[in-house]
Amino acid sequence: MRRYRVILALTALAAALIVPLVAGQFWMTLITQIYIYGLLALSVDLLLGHAGLYSLCQASFFAVAAYTTAILEVRYGYPTLVAAPAGLVAGTLLAVLYGCAVRTRGVYFILITIALGYIIWGAVYRWASFTGGDNGITNVPPPSVAGVSIASQTTYYYFVLGVVILCAFGYRILIRSPFGLSLRGIKGSESRMQSLGYRTTMHLYAAFVISGAIASLAGVLYVYYNRFINPVAASFQISVEVSLMAIVGGSGTIVGPFIGAGIFLGLRNWVSSFFEMHTAVMGIVFIATVLWAPSGIAGFIGRWRGDGAKTKDRP
Amino acid sequence: MHSGILQAINGVSFAALLFLLASGFTLSFGLMRVVNMAHGAYYLFGGYIGLTITRYTGSFALGVLGGGLAVIPLGYLIDRFLISRTGENHLAQVLLTVGIAFVLGDVALKIWGGDNLKVPTPIELRGAIELPGGIIYPTYRFVLILFGIVVGVSLWLLYRKTQIGAVVRAGVDDREIVSATGINIDRLFVLVSALASFLAGIAGVVGGAFLTLYPGAEWEILIYALVVVIFGGLGSLEGAMIGALIVGLLDAYGRWLLPEFSYFVLFGPMAILLLFRPRGIFGREG
Repeated sequence: MRRYRVILALTALAAALIVPLVAGQFWMTLITQIYIYGLLALSVDLLLGHAGLYSLCQASFFAVAAYTTAILEVRYGYPTLVAAPAGLVAGTLLAVLYGCAVRTRGVYFILITIALGYIIWGAVYRWASFTGGDNGITNVPPPSVAGVSIASQTTYYYFVLGVVILCAFGYRILIRSPFGLSLRGIKGSESRMQSLGYRTTMHLYAAFVISGAIASLAGVLYVYYNRFINPVAASFQISVEVSLMAIVGGSGTIVGPFIGAGIFLGLRNWVSSFFEMHTAVMGIVFIATVLWAPSGIAGFIGRWRGDGAKTKDRP
Repeated sequence: MHSGILQAINGVSFAALLFLLASGFTLSFGLMRVVNMAHGAYYLFGGYIGLTITRYTGSFALGVLGGGLAVIPLGYLIDRFLISRTGENHLAQVLLTVGIAFVLGDVALKIWGGDNLKVPTPIELRGAIELPGGIIYPTYRFVLILFGIVVGVSLWLLYRKTQIGAVVRAGVDDREIVSATGINIDRLFVLVSALASFLAGIAGVVGGAFLTLYPGAEWEILIYALVVVIFGGLGSLEGAMIGALIVGLLDAYGRWLLPEFSYFVLFGPMAILLLFRPRGIFGREG
């Protein structure tokens, strides 16, 4: 089983590496977008799949990081080496602040994160003198490091791919660490973890901040990919879409969120090319996922592959 | 000073509208444990249907009634065939109802187009009236305040003073015990869900007459309703009243004094309140 996985991973990597050589501009752009949204969905899934928290304000960290980087680049002319880390720090600091939400659980956590998400949306939308309001911030220059500009899409594709792979490895270490294990323990039974002496709220707080940092990284990658940013990036719709991506692809896995992003963005691109009511189609995807595939594609395949995986979990 | 009072009245009239929407949301959560993010779409649909009825019949009152009634079967079908299948999984409910809202929003866009539409109000409500102290204020929004008070008082009487209200309150506390005493809890669910849809539809028509209706309006109003129930506490009717007043006033003064930061003025106090009382003003621990 393990060897199959290695072969599968290497095949996927090889496919990802040759995309720019065989595919046109359209596909490369779409796949870059899938990597970035996949990373954002991965940040959702750290909370959703491991800690059992349903955060619906991930777009806030994403947008704050993106806006910080864009404003520093465009308005103040800072180089990428300042603007990009500053965006990452700004988004993460917001997560440090918003982490107070982990005082609540269940439906209250969901509603509070929705409301917290709207603060950022309202700020970037209404604070027009600073954020550009509805128009957002345009003409973000391509990232440049030490005088070398990453202007070509092919170079940026490889850059994003590299960052995503590094993140995936870091994420793998994180969720296999004792910390990741205790998060899953809290998801299973918080009161039991408390009685074992774990400070569960602090664990969830740490997970929330790490998740915010991953979302911020996705935001910085996004702003250099898109070259402009507007309030849509901070919207509630983005937050729900990425949670759906995490669920469709398979919650609790590393590749799942990326697969989900691929399915979701691919479908939307395809449908919107010929059908005007594509929002309704995406709505139906939401409904269908909740009703028929609550554990996503990966869970569906796992079930289809047989009972082997299932019985292994049993003691 | 003068415009300060004007903003207070603005805030209260917006609160009246928010109460219509939030009371249904909070009651359906209290009784059925359902988070229905499609509630904003009910508002929009009710508003659009009311608009069409008003245009054809020329009667605003018929529009309000029709807009409210038309949403009831929609809400019932969604409750009965979709939301009921999510059990108590709130994330599934949120995703499902967001999906429903996307579909409804797109259908509304297809039928009524993307322009801002205003529900026509009757001539008697169009002018302005002079309040004591020489304040000139639009009649319509003043009547809206009265309407909100009437609905609020009737709901409160229904909830606190009648047998149906007592059963609903008991259901909010403990569903299992209520059904164990032989009361048909499902029938109660249908009743409360119909009431919630009806109020949301009515809110759409009366709100559409001064806020106008447009694609996306469902989300804007929904988030206000969410803040109302977070302030007041999920499942509490009194909380929805107080919450609506707080949110209406904060919003009016925020827009007036700090237009660029009006969302902070609204959400900042909410975040602080949550730090100390995560379940809102009237929410209970448990």
